[in-house]
Amino acid sequence: MTVHAEAHSFDPAPVATLEFWGRTAEERETTFKELRDERPVSWHPPLEGNLLPLEKDGIWIVVRHADVVSVSKDWETFSSAQGVTMEEMPEDMAAAASSFLGMDPPRHTRLRRLVSSAFTPKQVKKIDDQINNQARRIVDDLLDVGDCDFVAQVSKRLPMWTIFEMLGVPQELREEGYRAADGMVAYLDEDAAAGQDALTFQMNALMTLLNIGVELAEERRARPTSDLMTNLVQAEVDGERLTDEEIGAFFVLLSVAGNDTTRNTTSLTMKALCDFPDQRKLLLEDYDGRITTAIEEFVRWATPVQTFRRTVTRDTELNGQKLHGGDWVVTVFASANRDERVFDDPHAFNILRSPNPHVAFGGGGPHYCLGNMLAKTQLRHLFKELLFRVKDIEVGAPTYLTSHFIRGVRAMPCTFTR
Amino acid sequence: MRIVVDRNKCTGLGICESLAPDHFEVNDEGALVVLRDSVSEDELDAVQQAVEGCPTEALRLEN
Ligand code: HEM
Ligand code: SF4
Repeated sequence: MTVHAEAHSFDPAPVATLEFWGRTAEERETTFKELRDERPVSWHPPLEGNLLPLEKDGIWIVVRHADVVSVSKDWETFSSAQGVTMEEMPEDMAAAASSFLGMDPPRHTRLRRLVSSAFTPKQVKKIDDQINNQARRIVDDLLDVGDCDFVAQVSKRLPMWTIFEMLGVPQELREEGYRAADGMVAYLDEDAAAGQDALTFQMNALMTLLNIGVELAEERRARPTSDLMTNLVQAEVDGERLTDEEIGAFFVLLSVAGNDTTRNTTSLTMKALCDFPDQRKLLLEDYDGRITTAIEEFVRWATPVQTFRRTVTRDTELNGQKLHGGDWVVTVFASANRDERVFDDPHAFNILRSPNPHVAFGGGGPHYCLGNMLAKTQLRHLFKELLFRVKDIEVGAPTYLTSHFIRGVRAMPCTFTR
Repeated sequence: MRIVVDRNKCTGLGICESLAPDHFEVNDEGALVVLRDSVSEDELDAVQQAVEGCPTEALRLEN
């Protein structure tokens, strides 16, 4: 181990600190730009303030688009089976929370297929009308309420509604489920955690979600319907039914992955459309003709999933840097999506940008976002309602979440003409 | 041109279907069905986009 430690000295950029992830995205981008230009694969001390004391002596930070894509695609060299976030989590907790997100093929493939059939273009088209209706209802309510917190009144509502609707979660469990899903990523944030330590806070949120998932599974075993949970309790992998633990983990993964991502894209896009009125005008001139291209830019701009982590399975090289088996590699999507080697004028919000090979849904490979079409459907309907029905909507300064994982907006005031 | 699918890589997400619906369809079991594996001149553009859009690089075009 000493040899390893001597071989690399730590990079001076303070990327693996909570303080860094408490800064604004623009401030972080200055550091990422420096790394992209000068030290694209850099070595850092492990993140402080983590859930568990870290056993690694350092972590690699990968910031260029091309390298993020190589790591994401090569799952044989860069494994997901030993965790996917920048910090160590207790093993049982990771297993309970991440399901197939934290697995490699072939097991990953078998489990993912059980839910992926609910996310195909045909299936998403089937729920298109329901999502549209729900988007309309959310904007009806917004118009009733008047000036308010945009996150609570708008951004929060559609993602969880959609995923709980697909899974068949009964109304009376939804409030509790919403709160717990929030808690799963907000644990690093002192305000959100309200005095509890990070581990306790996240563990409570996790247990709540698991319980809802298992309760729902039991209900569907007894009384099958046509929802996703019914498919899950009836599915077989290698001739065996899924256990409660496996179903619970599915439930947690879908609740977490389908929640903050679309929600924060909504908030950050609303802000961008207010900050850049020319782009808003351009979109309104031909909404149906431009929205598909625009949504790619919404997601690139927001990049709500900032980082993922892989573990190196064998000695290898990445962009000239030698990596050893067991090393941790963090891919920074937030940086790759501003890489000037790939994007012209990367700091411009350009709704007509094309091509737009952003990595906001992942850099490709087996873990590429399962919900990407679902997310796009939600964004398309919601922004149509917001931009055409809410007169002169404007948003104020957002308060951000401190997290190395999710780029989150906790609150953001909005005003409009009634 | 002919479409070739690497079944070991395909995860059945259907991005190809959303880009070239005449050639690809993911069925109710979540498996990719190639509706037509031959590609004519005027379809090439859409199919090419599907090949490039596939996140797992499961699609290839062969002569
Ligand atoms: C704008 C919204 C969204 C963004 C930016 C986003 C982003 C991502 C990213 C970056 C990954 C990891 C990819 C990788 O490691 O290569 C991912 C995976 C995943 N996403 Fe999304 N996501 C969004 C919406 C959704 C929605 C609505 C769902 C619905 C449930 C969802 C479900 C999933 C699942 C289940 C995975 C794990 C896939 C796997 O490991 O095989 N996502 N997403
Ligand atoms: S886009 Fe690629 S992975 Fe998805 S269904 Fe088509 S071929 Fe399979």
